[in-house]
Amino acid sequence: MEYVNPLTGFRLDGRRPNEMRQIRGEIGVVAKADGSALFEMGNTKVIAAVYGPREVRNKGQQINNQALVRCEYGMANFSTGDRRRKPKGDRRSTEISLVIRQTMEACILTHLMPHSQIDIFVQVLQADGGTRSACINAATLALADAGIPMRDIVTSCSAGYLCSTPLLDLNYVEDSAGGPDVTVGILAKMDKVTLLQMDAKLPMDIFENVMQLAIEGCKAVAHYIREVLLEHTKQLECHRGA
Amino acid sequence: MESSEGTGGLSGEIEVEAYRRLFPLPFYERHLLESVRPDARPLNRARDTTIALGPVASADGSALVKIGDTTMLAAIKLEVMTPSTDAPDEGSLAIEFQMPPICSPSVRPGRPAEVASVISKQLSDVMMSSEMINLKELSLISGKAAWMAYLDIYCLSADGCLFDAALLSAIAAFSHLQIPLVSVNDDGRVIAVFGELPEAKLKLELVNKEKRKLSLGSKPFSLTCILHEEYILADPNAEEESIMDTFVTVVLDSLGQLVSIYKPGGAALANMSTIKACIALTKSRVKELNNILSESLSEMEVD
Repeated sequence: MEYVNPLTGFRLDGRRPNEMRQIRGEIGVVAKADGSALFEMGNTKVIAAVYGPREVRNKGQQINNQALVRCEYGMANFSTGDRRRKPKGDRRSTEISLVIRQTMEACILTHLMPHSQIDIFVQVLQADGGTRSACINAATLALADAGIPMRDIVTSCSAGYLCSTPLLDLNYVEDSAGGPDVTVGILAKMDKVTLLQMDAKLPMDIFENVMQLAIEGCKAVAHYIREVLLEHTKQLECHRGA
Repeated sequence: MESSEGTGGLSGEIEVEAYRRLFPLPFYERHLLESVRPDARPLNRARDTTIALGPVASADGSALVKIGDTTMLAAIKLEVMTPSTDAPDEGSLAIEFQMPPICSPSVRPGRPAEVASVISKQLSDVMMSSEMINLKELSLISGKAAWMAYLDIYCLSADGCLFDAALLSAIAAFSHLQIPLVSVNDDGRVIAVFGELPEAKLKLELVNKEKRKLSLGSKPFSLTCILHEEYILADPNAEEESIMDTFVTVVLDSLGQLVSIYKPGGAALANMSTIKACIALTKSRVKELNNILSESLSEMEVD
C-alpha cells in the first residue's frame, strides 16, 4: 500500500512527511477536577483530569518524603472503529498507565508534597493513532491547570518509517501498517528525553533521523502548549482583575 | 458585600467560604428564605442546558449534553447479530452508563461508583417503558439478522443531576442515529457497507436502500428535584445533592404522559401536593428540553 505517494510526496491524509496533524488544547473542561484538559491531535481526542495533591487513600502506599503519583488510562467503548469489550484492565491499558505515570513522575517536583497523592486520570474519547502522546500532552496541561509544581513541561510525539520516508505523527492507518513506531517524550526547555519507545526493526542511522523528527514534533507541541497556558493565564488575570 | 478596602473584602470572602464549608445547611437555609440559591438561580429554574449532536465521528449516533457543569457523552454503535427465537423480528438494545474517574473526586479507579449502577438500571427501565424505540425497526432479515444497538454513556464531569443529563444524552443520540447500509455477502452473513460499492459485488439487494433514521415515539424527559422541609429545588448541583438527601425524579414524555416517578427514601417525606408540584415543574422543563433538542436537530439538518 502506498503510504507516501511517490509522485507528489503526500501521505494518505494529504500531509507531508514532516507535518503534524492539527493540535488543539483546552483547559478546564472538568468542573470538579483540580486540573483538567482536553487535547486533540487530528482525530485523536483525549481528556485528562488531575486530582491532587490530596490525602493518600491507601495508607500502606504512602511515601514519607514525596508525593505518590497514580495514573489510570481508559478508552471509551466507542473510541475505536469496532466497539471494545474491555475498556480498562486489559494489558495495553495497564502498560500505557504505567508509561504515563513514570513519564509524569519524572517532571513533577514530588518532594515538595510529602504524604500526599496526585491522581492523573486519562480518558480516550476517540482514538486515531498517537493516543499515548496525546495522553501525555493532555496530562501536562491538566497538571499545569492544577497548579502542581513541575520541573518543565513534558510533551510527546510519535514518528515512523514507511516507504523509505520518516513520517511524523502517525495516524491509525499508518500505525497499523507494520512499520516501526517511535514515541518520544521530552522535557521541552531542558531538552532531555524522558520517554522513548520503539517497536519493529530499524537500522541505527535511520533510527537517529526518525527520533530527531519526533523530537522536533515534541518541540512544536511544547510551543503550542506554552501559548495555550499563557492565554489561559491572561484570562484568569482578567477575571481576577475585574 | 463590597468593601472599599481590598483586604477587608478578601477576608470577608474567606469567612463566607469557611461558613459555607463548615455549616452548609444553615448557609443554604439563609438563601432559601429569600427564595434564591447561592448560584443566583430561583428555586424552580434549571441550569443552562446545551446539546451538541455528532461529536463522535466513528459512532453511528452520538450526542454531548451539558446541564450546568454536568457533562455526558453518549454514543451508539450498531452491530449485526442473530435475533432470539422468541422475538425473531426484533433487534435489541444494550445500555451502559459509566463514570470514569475523571468525572468526580469521589470516584476511585478500580471501584465503580455505586450511583453508576443505579443510574444504568434506571435508564434501561425508562427507555424500555417509554416505548420510544420500536425494536421491530431494528430488524433486518426476519429470524436471521437484526441490529444490536450498543448505547454507551460516559459521564465526563459530575455536578449533580446525573440521571437527567444521561437520559437527555441518550434521547439526543437516538435522534441523531443513522442506520448504515447493509448487504449480504457470499457466506450468507450480513455485513455493513461503508461508502460506495460497485454493483457486481452485491449478491443480494441492499436490505435498506439508504441511510435512515429511526422513527421515534414520544421522547421521555426528566427533572430531578430536591425536597428540603417545605422547599422544592429543581435541578440540584453536586453541593446541594450532598447536603440535602431527599430527591424525586419525575420522567414525562413529550405528550405529557407520566413515564416514571422515583423517590428513593430520604429524610423529607412528600405528600400528594409536593409530588404534584414536582410534576408541574417537570412539565415546563419537558417543553424547554424539547425545544432545545429540536433546535439542535434542525441545525444539524441545515448542515
